[in-house]
Amino acid sequence: MNNNDIAEKIKAVYKDLEVKPKYSNQVEIRADGIDIVGLLAFIKSLGFEHLSNVTCVDWIKEKRFDVIYNVWSYTHKVHITVKSGIDRDNPEIPTVMSLWPQAQVYERETHEMFGVKFLGNPDLSPLFLHNWKDIPPLRKDFDTVEYSKRAYGASSPEGGNE
Amino acid sequence: MSDWVEITKIGETDKYETYEYFFGPNHPGMHGNFAYVVDVVGSTIQKVRVSAGLLHRGFEKLMEQNLWFQNISLIPRICVPDPDPNEAAYCTACEKLLGIEIPDRGKFLRSLALEMSRLTSFLMGMGALGAMMGLYSVMYRMMDERDNILVFFEWLTGARIYHMYSIPGGVRRDIPEGFKEKMLKLMDDLEYNLREWDRLLFENPVIHKRLKGIGTIDPVHAVEVGITGPSLRATGYKADVRKDDPYAAYPYLDFDIITTEGGDALARAVQIRKEYEQTINLIRQILKRMPGGDFKVYLGNPLKLRIPAGDAYARVESSKGEFGYYIVSDGGIRPYRISVRGPSLPAGLYLCNEHLPGMRIDDIAIWMASFAVCPPDFDR
Amino acid sequence: MNLGKKSFFSPFAFWANAFKAPTTIRFPKEDLDFFEKPGASPRYRGLHTNDIDKCIGCGTCSEICPTDAITMIESENKKEGTLGRKPQIDYGRCCFCGFCVDMCTTGSLQMSRVYLKNYATPPDKIGDEEVEDIKKHFVLVPDEKFSDDLGYTTPDEYSWLDLERVEMPQMDAEERLQGFIEYVKGFTREQAIKEASRCVECGVCTETCPAHMRIPEYIHEIWEDDPYASVDKMYTENPLPGVCGRVCTHRCETVCSIGHRGEPVAIRWLKRYAVDQLSIDKIKNIAHVFKGGKKEKHVSIIGSGPSGLTCAYYLSVMGYKITIYEAKPLAGGIMRYGIPNYRLPDEALDKDIDVILSMGVEIKTNTEVGRDITIEEIKKNSDAVFIGTGFMESRSTKIKNVDRPGCYRALDLLAKISRGEKIELKEKVVIIGGGNVAFDIGRSIARLQKAEFGKVGVTLTCLEKRDEMLADEEEIIEGQEEGLVIKPGRSPKEVLLDENGNVRGLRTVKCVKIFDDQGRFNPTVDESDVEDYEGYMVVEAIGQAPNYDYLGKDILDKLEIVRGKILTDEYGRTPIEWLFAGGDIVHGPDIIHGVADGHRAAQAIDEYLMNQK
Ligand code: SF4
Ligand code: SF4
Ligand code: SF4
Repeated sequence: MNNNDIAEKIKAVYKDLEVKPKYSNQVEIRADGIDIVGLLAFIKSLGFEHLSNVTCVDWIKEKRFDVIYNVWSYTHKVHITVKSGIDRDNPEIPTVMSLWPQAQVYERETHEMFGVKFLGNPDLSPLFLHNWKDIPPLRKDFDTVEYSKRAYGASSPEGGNE
Repeated sequence: MSDWVEITKIGETDKYETYEYFFGPNHPGMHGNFAYVVDVVGSTIQKVRVSAGLLHRGFEKLMEQNLWFQNISLIPRICVPDPDPNEAAYCTACEKLLGIEIPDRGKFLRSLALEMSRLTSFLMGMGALGAMMGLYSVMYRMMDERDNILVFFEWLTGARIYHMYSIPGGVRRDIPEGFKEKMLKLMDDLEYNLREWDRLLFENPVIHKRLKGIGTIDPVHAVEVGITGPSLRATGYKADVRKDDPYAAYPYLDFDIITTEGGDALARAVQIRKEYEQTINLIRQILKRMPGGDFKVYLGNPLKLRIPAGDAYARVESSKGEFGYYIVSDGGIRPYRISVRGPSLPAGLYLCNEHLPGMRIDDIAIWMASFAVCPPDFDR
Repeated sequence: MNLGKKSFFSPFAFWANAFKAPTTIRFPKEDLDFFEKPGASPRYRGLHTNDIDKCIGCGTCSEICPTDAITMIESENKKEGTLGRKPQIDYGRCCFCGFCVDMCTTGSLQMSRVYLKNYATPPDKIGDEEVEDIKKHFVLVPDEKFSDDLGYTTPDEYSWLDLERVEMPQMDAEERLQGFIEYVKGFTREQAIKEASRCVECGVCTETCPAHMRIPEYIHEIWEDDPYASVDKMYTENPLPGVCGRVCTHRCETVCSIGHRGEPVAIRWLKRYAVDQLSIDKIKNIAHVFKGGKKEKHVSIIGSGPSGLTCAYYLSVMGYKITIYEAKPLAGGIMRYGIPNYRLPDEALDKDIDVILSMGVEIKTNTEVGRDITIEEIKKNSDAVFIGTGFMESRSTKIKNVDRPGCYRALDLLAKISRGEKIELKEKVVIIGGGNVAFDIGRSIARLQKAEFGKVGVTLTCLEKRDEMLADEEEIIEGQEEGLVIKPGRSPKEVLLDENGNVRGLRTVKCVKIFDDQGRFNPTVDESDVEDYEGYMVVEAIGQAPNYDYLGKDILDKLEIVRGKILTDEYGRTPIEWLFAGGDIVHGPDIIHGVADGHRAAQAIDEYLMNQK
């Protein structure tokens, strides 16, 4: 099956979703406000065995986080990007650990970098940033220059020490 | 007890004491700036916690603040031993968004750099694996061999380690005169030396004894936890991004997906040994089939390059597995978001929790080397 | 390989290497002859070298540098077309990516094969001074020190700069000859954005532009697809952007840093594009900024050419009352009466002038100072006077018979043609002169001939050799395309007459040298090399001159006039404190210089009037 067939298959079940094939072998799904675990379980059952990663995009102007799931099918050689928009002020989404156990780490990282809460993930403790006291740094409103001034007393306009 | 003592007693029963041990950068068996905090009883691991972040450089944030072209200087740093897959994945994703196809010569040159990089990385990986077992002479010999390839990188790209060779649209420089002949000669030499690697490493009783049964994983579970690349193929699973999701010049090259049965550290070592040979073959093909013509599409002034809004995921088969770049553009001169999927994460941060408990401390390094866990690619 | 086979002895194969030279010992590298010459690879990205004479200080290297390693510092190279700066590199930051080299606009910045730079802080400096000490040794200004050992360099074909211009759509010669319609069609939106994206925003052009227009800024706005903001940035230095966007001599383009390796950015056409996008009301919105509030003082301006109009605009921005006196029936001076419509259509000129007049500027046309009104009268009812009367009289070669009927001066003819008045056209015409005006009249006549006789018969002859001709290269090429025959390197000798005394041609002799050893204009000719050109009409276009009679003796006595130009300070001040001058009569013919003069004189006048209280 190529990406068009896959898109059709998904649309047959999820009629309201925006599913669009793109490039030669990718499919993009916008899945806001639906049961993300159910959708991904369905996708996995179509032969999308491999989760490449889970990540997040901060659309600050739209007040939305897009949680991104990149999945790949070794069977069909097709890639699916699932984007699930969530409220930026109350970022919560269920974990997909039950489908791919390694999602635990990606979710932990996304929680640390964006502050997205993955409900059901047992360990969302900080992974990379030690003693972090600021807002999650990959959010668009985190200003690196301001931070280095605040945290390290940087003096130059670029945030270094002149 | 003062703070700096590394071994902390954390529990005790009437039979034994449990210690917490920081297996970190100061341990000769650790690869890079990363640490496992392990609870040990005797030399047996009870529990493991990852302690990443020692290497965190905030690259993803930094890349949002750079121009599209400027990022080329950052991304090779995400994987030191095998930098070129990063460049290729980033550029491929940009090209998808731009909707362009690069010229064939550009694709071949990109593949050339990728395969050369794979060789250097395999040599380093095999050498490190040897060193982890105390076979330091193996490592020295392999690093020596790696240097021979670095000279060619220096010749092709101008630098030995961070090549910054691929750019959106193609590559930066055409192949220099006389390069091809000397490179083919080098391939013969590398092939000849394989015999020596076999003797030093693969026929060495030590590695059979030490690697057998370490970190065994079956194909189904490997896929489930996201293991990719040689480690996945060493479970007998047939998957290779170069074939499955082709990029650069791979559609034009003849090769099969090689697999090995077993799924343990030994199988992974053997798999790398096989792929090393395959890579030599691929480089020969690339050089011999290199088409003429342009090596890049010109995209305009780099200071004002805008990439159309949208998102794209591009993956590249690195020496360790799938390197993926998920790139989001809002149509501006800087990326809106770049997310890097490093191949070491599933093993290095997740699988360790399943595999390490029950292992001995001295096997941690071997386990890491056999899964090619390279911390910079997840702690970016 | 047989992995089943384990051998205890295999690992001892290692000993075979005991007698081989190791690869990894690469220091000193000089003992390796892998590349043709010892040392690092011929493409090695090592320490930088910079040819300071060539470097124009554009700072593009510093713009692309991903690590912010490059700071621009003052350079000893301050030639025209440079910014007087050069890069300084902090090797504590530099990652040797070579992007700066790939982006260097001139190719002066290169990398060498030198990769060693060692320094150990002396023990007595360790501590507080250490950082400064290390900085001293690792913050370097690249010069030619390593230029004999070049590594990574960027020939033009590898350059990252956009070296090719977007082609300007324009009519072909046959179509152009059909009339006086503007033949350069102007960029479309896509073309303009693409062309604007070529600019690296260095500002070298701004330095050279006489009016110092904020070129990189307005180009940036065009690239951002915001013509309104772009025009807004033009009006701060130039209230005639529609005119300049068409007929400016574009010195900026001759120095544009992209021009060092490729074709310069089409700055002039971009300006035109932005202005053409906006309706006159929008432009009025931009122009109507009143900075100084209403003022009672009154300034009179003589001449409504570029300098007069500019001066009027900026003074009215400051709130002064302005009256312009213009001898001709319409405003615009040389722009209206000297430049043919196919280069500058009336609509474009009117758009610019209307904007200026809408500021509340009063204009008295058909009012020649000295004839209809005296300068004393003007002085009496105003607080300051600006003169920008231009070079409106054509010079003559004064050769034999040139005063006969059938011989003309270029400006007189151009004025008539531009007003649509009839001229006595002949099938064959000879033009004397090789500047832009010569081409203007030659090409105008060609159009008229085409309409009347169906074919072009214009011969253009000048003293200069072909590669020394004063006209813009594109004028010459387009003129030739339209059928002008060009005879360079000829000195006019006499106008030939037929038996009835009518003009029948021009006799020329070869011009060997134009200037004498002192550099004075004094052509040397070879009388033996004679050529006659057929033509029943001869037009002189060898330059223009001013006429200062209207100023009267009293004033003229106080002014210093050098080679026809009035001596003023930088701001157009003359020795008479209420009298200011600018434009051709100060700097010689050039529209953009006139604009610059008008702007500066406005500042000087404001200062003078403010202090007067
Ligand atoms: S880009 Fe080249 S010419 Fe411009 S300042 Fe840098 S070194 Fe000089
Ligand atoms: S080589 Fe790269 S990092 Fe170094 S100064 Fe040039 S652009 Fe900057
Ligand atoms: S137009 Fe040319 S000289 Fe002017 S800023 Fe742009 S690149 Fe520099």
